[in-house]
Amino acid sequence: MAYVAIADRDHHLHDPDTFVTKYIWSQDHKVIAIQYGSVAILVGLVALGLSLLMRLQIGFPETFSFITPYNYYQFVTMHGMIMVIYLLTALFLGGFGNYLIPLMCGARDMVFPYMNMLSFWVYLLSVIVLIASFFAPGGPTGAGWTLYPPQAIAEGTPGTDWGIILMLASLAIFIVAFTMGGLNYVTTVLQARCRGMTLMRMPLSVWGIFVATILGLFAFPALLVAAIMLMLDRVIGTSFFMPALLSMGSETGNDGGSPILFQHLFWFFGHPEVYIVALPAFGIVSDLLSTHARKNIFGYRMMVWSIVAIGALSFVVWAHHMYVSGMNPYFGFFFATTTLIIAVPTAIKVYNWVLTLWRGDIHFTLPMLWATGFIFTFVHGGLTGLFLGNVTVDLPLSDTYFVIGHFHMVMGVSPVMVLFGAIYHWFPKITGKMANETLGRIHFWMTFLGTYAIYLPMHYLGILGMPRRYYAYGNTEVLPESGVIANQSITIAAIIVALAQMIFLINVFYSLRKGKTADPNPWRATTLEWQTPETPPKHGNWGPKLPVVYRWAYDYSVPGASRDFLPQNEPPRDEARAPA
Amino acid sequence: MLTALLIAMLTGITIWWLLVQRLKVKPWLEQGVVSGSQDSLTSSAPKVGLWVFLAMVTSLFLVFIGAYIMRKDHGHGGGMHAWMPVDEPSVLWLNTALLVLASVAMQHARGRITANDIVAARRSFAAAGVLTLLFLAGQVSAWMSLSASGLYTVETPAYSFFILLTAVHGLHLVGGLVVLGRAARRMWRADTSNAVVVSRLATSVQLCTTYWHFLLLVWLGLFWLLMST
Repeated sequence: MAYVAIADRDHHLHDPDTFVTKYIWSQDHKVIAIQYGSVAILVGLVALGLSLLMRLQIGFPETFSFITPYNYYQFVTMHGMIMVIYLLTALFLGGFGNYLIPLMCGARDMVFPYMNMLSFWVYLLSVIVLIASFFAPGGPTGAGWTLYPPQAIAEGTPGTDWGIILMLASLAIFIVAFTMGGLNYVTTVLQARCRGMTLMRMPLSVWGIFVATILGLFAFPALLVAAIMLMLDRVIGTSFFMPALLSMGSETGNDGGSPILFQHLFWFFGHPEVYIVALPAFGIVSDLLSTHARKNIFGYRMMVWSIVAIGALSFVVWAHHMYVSGMNPYFGFFFATTTLIIAVPTAIKVYNWVLTLWRGDIHFTLPMLWATGFIFTFVHGGLTGLFLGNVTVDLPLSDTYFVIGHFHMVMGVSPVMVLFGAIYHWFPKITGKMANETLGRIHFWMTFLGTYAIYLPMHYLGILGMPRRYYAYGNTEVLPESGVIANQSITIAAIIVALAQMIFLINVFYSLRKGKTADPNPWRATTLEWQTPETPPKHGNWGPKLPVVYRWAYDYSVPGASRDFLPQNEPPRDEARAPA
Repeated sequence: MLTALLIAMLTGITIWWLLVQRLKVKPWLEQGVVSGSQDSLTSSAPKVGLWVFLAMVTSLFLVFIGAYIMRKDHGHGGGMHAWMPVDEPSVLWLNTALLVLASVAMQHARGRITANDIVAARRSFAAAGVLTLLFLAGQVSAWMSLSASGLYTVETPAYSFFILLTAVHGLHLVGGLVVLGRAARRMWRADTSNAVVVSRLATSVQLCTTYWHFLLLVWLGLFWLLMST
């Protein structure tokens, strides 16, 4: 029996016809993607504001009386949790995953559209529950995004009344949403590719999101387990994580619990989580570089292998977050080894990105600027990771600003550069308009230079020994004059970079209304999403006939071809390919 | 620790194996529609979706089990609060038997619906649901008998873990029962002469059966673990 792909089957795609079914209770992956993206960016702006409050305190202590130690830790915690999970994970997977996967695979929609729609609304619920903690008695939790017990639920930490409960509940709800979305992404990639689209012809954007989703499906359960057990410890007084403890002068009644168990569970999730953020960025940036340099990605197979290898290895490095936890030093040795091993496929990817640009026909378009910015900032952040991955070097650097500099560079700066590059790149497809170039370039340069101004000095501060998660440093000798000045300049830079993001928002709204109407394929890209009959694509994406794919996603500047790109769905002619 | 390592290794190996085969192709050389290019599995999307979901649930239970083992072996505070094993109530054996029967009934329903015998399929499907409900009732009775014995408090980790592990398993069964209920409703109202309708029902029953067998395996694993520690 001839195999009929899901995407080809005759099932009737119900076209939505009311405003509500088109834009609110929509099952169209493109609408869901925009819903995810909008909520993620909105809540990300809240977290950006929180970071400014933090910086005001660190840069200018004893100046702002409304920032107290109590709410400072709440800002720290909520900033971290929102950024990592509710912005980055939701935007890369829920936003870009939803938009790109069906289009790049040649499908009409995700394979489970109803569940896809539910996943967004459950995600929104998780955000609401999280934000509700700001308004609960005692405010949000101030336990740090890592939520370590016993402090997370012991009195003295902010938010132990309601904040921690709402946080844990919100995480559990998010995990449900992620599961529903994740099942869609994985199953659509496996089952709904159009004819001719083999796995090895998929663009790397899809590979990155696909492997990241698989990571999430295996890693989020660890967070769920930790959250459930911490919730039980808080609400009914079990002792999964709580040791015998004196709190405020009296015994808590717990005994026998293991805080280290929480750390293992959390980081077993936490490390794959950072790759859940990074891998889609790796995939997308490969496509940006390739398209705007008019050159095939260098070493496509190794890029795929590296994504898979990084994903698999990410499960065996978690305890490099626990070198100072008091665990067996031999474990530290093991995890340092695996951490250094995981640097190998990552480095291979960096070489391949650079080699893609080598002798390419580079067009410094707006997306290319951001993609290049990614390479610089990621190399920077990755190198500092090598320092931290070694146990001995990590001992003095752990919990200092060196670590903050490192993880912001690899998670906050470089993937965000990819996000902006991706938004400018796909803006014409999503909206039918071109984003304003001038505003975009100002946004880029302010952000690129500004984030260096913020995070470079932090490495110096870390080596000085400036600890993280401190409200103030007082009149101790910990911070020399140079450190105080560094903190002030970081704060000023942070304010400027935050303002620069407003330029981006202005650009988006301005261009939506007054932007130049876009060509259907303004970047002359090969991937399928640019070959839709309408721009923006309508419900069902492809019109009456699904595309058929004849080639891989990187036929740029093919020798002997008449144009410098060959779309994936363009049938082959009899032109002989020049030998490699 | 070892469990976590095991999961990680298995994950790595599975993904590696699945994909390293693909690396022999040279996608930049191939042109034209590659025949047999759908190297996806020929099962349907709902089946693939269920298997991916089951992989995730496996990960969940493995992490819970890992936490249990870690807590058992490295319990802090020796002496009075060293690991005190729970004396499992004997009703658990009955519950296990009920769940096995539920799986058997499911499998029977699956066989009957494939053979187009809707009436028998309906009966077995419903029996599976009832047996599962009895299993859940038995689990609750086990909890009540443990609580009534007065030997354990929430602080006893073995007891908390017992409740937690059985509750998580039970909740997954409840979720399955919701799906089963909806499928059963469709089965009773179905126009059984319509082949498309029957084939859709068959898919639902197949998916439910896979899920039930999976949860039975999970239960057998948990049961063995709880009894032996």
